[in-house]
Amino acid sequence: MFQAVSARLAQTLLVLLIVSAASFAFLKLAPGDPVSIMLGSDYSQASYDKLTHELGLDQPIVLQYGRWLADFVRGDWGTSYITNQDIFELAVLQALPVTLTLAALSLLIALVVGIPTGVLAALYRNSWIDVLATTLAIGGNAFPSFYLGIILIWLFGVDLGWFPVLGFVAPWEDFWQGLWHLVLPAVTLGAWYVGLIARITRSSLLEVLGQPYILAAKARGEPGWRVVWVHGMRNVLMPLVTVIGLQLGGMLRGAVMTEVVFALPGLGMMVTTAVLNREYIVVQAGIMLTGLLFVAVNLAVDQTYQFLDPRLRRR
Amino acid sequence: MDCAVALTPQAADMPASPPPLLEVRDFSLRRGQAVVLDGVNLALHPGETLGLIGESGAGKSTLALALIGLLRAPEVQLQGSLRFRGTELTQLREADYRRLRGNKIGLIFQDATAALNPCFTVGEQIAEPLKRHLGLSKWDRRDRAAALMQSVGIPEPRLRLDAYPHELSGGMQQRVMIAVALACNPELLLADEPTSALDVTIQAQIMELILDRVRALNSSAVFVLHDLALGAQVCDRIAVMYAGQIVEEGPSDRVLAAPLHPYTRGLKSCVVELGSRMLEPIPGQVPPLNAMPAGCRFAPRCPKAKAICSEQRPLAEIHDGRQVACWFID
Repeated sequence: MFQAVSARLAQTLLVLLIVSAASFAFLKLAPGDPVSIMLGSDYSQASYDKLTHELGLDQPIVLQYGRWLADFVRGDWGTSYITNQDIFELAVLQALPVTLTLAALSLLIALVVGIPTGVLAALYRNSWIDVLATTLAIGGNAFPSFYLGIILIWLFGVDLGWFPVLGFVAPWEDFWQGLWHLVLPAVTLGAWYVGLIARITRSSLLEVLGQPYILAAKARGEPGWRVVWVHGMRNVLMPLVTVIGLQLGGMLRGAVMTEVVFALPGLGMMVTTAVLNREYIVVQAGIMLTGLLFVAVNLAVDQTYQFLDPRLRRR
Repeated sequence: MDCAVALTPQAADMPASPPPLLEVRDFSLRRGQAVVLDGVNLALHPGETLGLIGESGAGKSTLALALIGLLRAPEVQLQGSLRFRGTELTQLREADYRRLRGNKIGLIFQDATAALNPCFTVGEQIAEPLKRHLGLSKWDRRDRAAALMQSVGIPEPRLRLDAYPHELSGGMQQRVMIAVALACNPELLLADEPTSALDVTIQAQIMELILDRVRALNSSAVFVLHDLALGAQVCDRIAVMYAGQIVEEGPSDRVLAAPLHPYTRGLKSCVVELGSRMLEPIPGQVPPLNAMPAGCRFAPRCPKAKAICSEQRPLAEIHDGRQVACWFID
């Protein structure tokens, strides 16, 4: 058990190291010289060399990487050229919670809508319910989220005026106002996930319901709803969690679009603004944070498997 | 079993004999156009064991599933009557049928590995019918589940209660399956090829265990088997099925010793006996469900078939204490 977990952790650390190296290389390869940017337009060669030395940029690249990594681990991510803000504070304390809240709410919506839709489609296979559910699922999956976002803003924000059009209120400061502002973005981002979850639920449940243990549960006198929701869905959870974990990349990608469309100050918005301002140091923080998030979710999914599937538990 | 064998003829002789526990009359099951079961007649008295014997595709398992009500309209169309303890099962509401399943009628599946839910402990699965039908409390369920596991020969049941199916061997899994089926002391136990997924070395043990428990609970049992000799050995009565029909039905010893239907004879001579070189396979194969012969379904493969066989279906006649469906019983 301990050996397996430590092996997994070592693997995770290796992935993180590769992400950090790539992210460091990105900064090095980016056009523009940080020293000349910091010095402005008028400077002498002596002051240029002095600053280069002070910043440690005259040292071997491996050493520079090591120092940068050490600073990163310590939480010293540098300062924004433009706002003069500490980047760790900007990315981790301000942007990350917004993105996580948006993602969590979208996932919740997707699960609440997607799972029952998938179950209904499986139970009434090849009926009009199935056709409708499958059409909605594929539609939600295929519809670009930025376009859906604009339509939702126009319909529910501008035309009907039910929801705020843009902006963000932190739910941890004002819960209801925060939720209110997040409804449209979460629906936009969740719509894409709904289709995915519904389709996986449908196909997995159909496969599970054909298993002998389902017939055996019926032969014990279990009522139909329990057979589906307990005996059946318990076995659908594993493929479902796998897909949710694997599609996290899509979720983050969608979050960037959604945050820009709804002007939410999340990670996606942060990175987009940074790219437009050519603030590579902030982009780099975004890359690292996204990588960390990805690895963390995959680790969590792996651990969830053991919890969900007794066959994978080690004794 | 000896006791039950002795009882059967007696029960038939006495006019005031108790009504059969299970009575199947002119029972047919259609799946769309295909007639899967055709005019099945059977009676099972309390304490009796019956073996349904036949090749795969004969409809044995279908009959077992129909008896426990897992094959019903609209999935399939039923005709005729299934009476269990005087209740007409074909007319029973689903909610009432559910009260019989796992309670008065238990079912043992062929492959316990597939029939046990991998995500629940064996204790949970044994306790399920105890909660559903007997309404036992959580701790009573645990006690009773452990006792059931003990009774089917699982060592250290208290420890095994929290084991998952994959942590047990195939034989132990089948024992768990038996414990589940017997949890509520069913009056009728259905066993669908209960040993054919197991190693030969444990097959006899499991068969003996099932018979032992059935006798201890004074239940009746229907065994679905493909081995005529095994069926005759463990069951009081035998019903030989062919292509959805019962071709011969009667006391095991007599059916095995002197089979009357040509198909039963064919089945018997298919068995390889030690020291004998006589192995006569039945020529041909079971006709597909959508192309059943109009007359006797066995006629195309029957060595004794005459013109009438392929034209008219032989009705089961009582002959020497058994029902035989053949035009030429000698």
